[in-house]
Amino acid sequence: VTIRDYVSPFDQRVRPAERLAPRPADITGRHVVLLDIRKNRGAEFLDRLETHLAAAGAATSRSVKEIFSKPASAEVIDEVAGRADLVVEALAD
Amino acid sequence: MQPSLAPGSAAPALSARGLGAQRPGIAGLTAGGAALLVFVSEECPTSAHALRSLGGLCPSWEQAGLAAAAVFEDPLEVAVRVARRLGWGGRVLSEDPPYATSRDYSLLSVPTFVLVDSGGRVAGTVTGWDHSAVAGLIGRASDLLGTGLAAPPPGGPLRKPGCSSKAAIDPEIAAAMNGPGGLDELEEMFERGWTDGLPVIPPTRERVDAMLGGRAGSRSLGAVPPAMGEATLERVAACAVLAGCRPAYFPVVAAAAEAALDPAFNLHGQAVTTQPAGQLIVVNGPVREQIGLNTGMGALGPGCRANLTIGRALRLLVALTGGAVPGAMDRSTLGHPGKISFCIAEDEETSPWEPLHVERGFRAGQPVVTLIASDAPLSISDHRSRTPEDLGYVLAWAAASAWSTNWWPLDDPSVFVICPEHAGMFRAAGWSKQRLRQFMFDAVHKPAGELRRGETTPFVHAADPATQVPKWQSADEIVLLVAGGEAGRYSAVLGPCTGMGSKIVSREVAL
Repeated sequence: VTIRDYVSPFDQRVRPAERLAPRPADITGRHVVLLDIRKNRGAEFLDRLETHLAAAGAATSRSVKEIFSKPASAEVIDEVAGRADLVVEALAD
Repeated sequence: MQPSLAPGSAAPALSARGLGAQRPGIAGLTAGGAALLVFVSEECPTSAHALRSLGGLCPSWEQAGLAAAAVFEDPLEVAVRVARRLGWGGRVLSEDPPYATSRDYSLLSVPTFVLVDSGGRVAGTVTGWDHSAVAGLIGRASDLLGTGLAAPPPGGPLRKPGCSSKAAIDPEIAAAMNGPGGLDELEEMFERGWTDGLPVIPPTRERVDAMLGGRAGSRSLGAVPPAMGEATLERVAACAVLAGCRPAYFPVVAAAAEAALDPAFNLHGQAVTTQPAGQLIVVNGPVREQIGLNTGMGALGPGCRANLTIGRALRLLVALTGGAVPGAMDRSTLGHPGKISFCIAEDEETSPWEPLHVERGFRAGQPVVTLIASDAPLSISDHRSRTPEDLGYVLAWAAASAWSTNWWPLDDPSVFVICPEHAGMFRAAGWSKQRLRQFMFDAVHKPAGELRRGETTPFVHAADPATQVPKWQSADEIVLLVAGGEAGRYSAVLGPCTGMGSKIVSREVAL
């Protein structure tokens, strides 16, 4: 008699948890990248936010995903990570 | 009842059963040199501890000549399940009420360990969990076999009393404890989350190997979004087993998985969206007949194992390997029944037109699956049209509310499943597929001013009110298939999944 076992449909590899970057105490003089995912009216929300961030002393710039329904490409992620101290992503309308 | 198992006395015969056809006997168990019987019961925590502690050693003991057998005072299916959960690597036996074997061994409590030598004589017993006494028993077995056996690992309790043997309590109470366990394996699938909400076929190693049919299980078809679990052929096969597929269906399932994982299909967006989107599988070519896919009556409904389980296997792959579990990463507001299973085979023989896969560049004799991100079917009844123009108009306008009443134009495909009687009318009139498609495209348009209620497209929003807006961006967004029963004039339209940039993807069935 052998004991039956199952073949799991799950991918059971354990991925190491990503560590959050340290949070700055304030945003004055920091570079904030506003990431537009191309969801309807997300850009309008980022426009308003950009005004407030500038008034608070942050430098801002924009980046954009190819389409909202796909993960950001490695190029976009690398490019944003290269110049941003902070990132704000507008997720959905 | 007094224990009567003095060392040297004959071990009583076993009336327990195992998974094999023949009842195991003492002679068979001791053929390698000795046997260790471990009497246990599902409800007893000390039994569980004993099985857990010793289970990993059993294979090496068996190789050295000591057969370890857990004798459960439980139904066989319960015994097998408990043994598996606890990592018991030895043999599994089960005895039924009134537990004659336990009585013959004068059992008072479980666990009880009985070592039997090659002559069928009792060489030692331990009652309850006693680490040093069990280690001593294994030492005695080593002496009998003339070889060193791995001792129970240290750690855990040194001593622990057991529970009453069911043979030693009132038979009525024992019978009440002994409920049916036949469905437990199916319930276990739910406990593991290996389900779409319906019962599944447990993916045992034997079933998955049969599904693979000798193909390399480690081969990967790619990562399944959104969790990017790797779709090894073995996992795809596990999903096919869970779904209820026959092994003959597996090449179609694998081809559908390959097509779904093509980045152009954007399964990622479909898997997590609040839209209802399902993944429609269209099967063309000779494989339809070879594996018994239904192209006829009820082609989009219940009744055919091949259609339902192939569609279900892909959905289970997305939900389980891909992690798109409804209510968790699958955020679909309503979903639709096609997200359980969504597989149609085209009736190429009845169709007046070239089949979908030929339209997409394949040869007629090639087996091909085509994936289309699709909304639920909307039935279109028309029993009175007598000209292809009237019928084409009715079919086309049924799609006017696809996605939304005022969302024009759509830039993703609408799939029309044309029933044989409707298709026959176009055949009689000599209409080509392209002619019908263009007619339908031309038929459905409205002035922008009539589309400005509620949500509408940026195009309509910006257009002059008199501008005529078509329902589709181009005639190419109209996909035509033929399927269904020979009687009845009911076709259907399946609206799109939009905003995903999802392309139609085809793959030859090639495994």
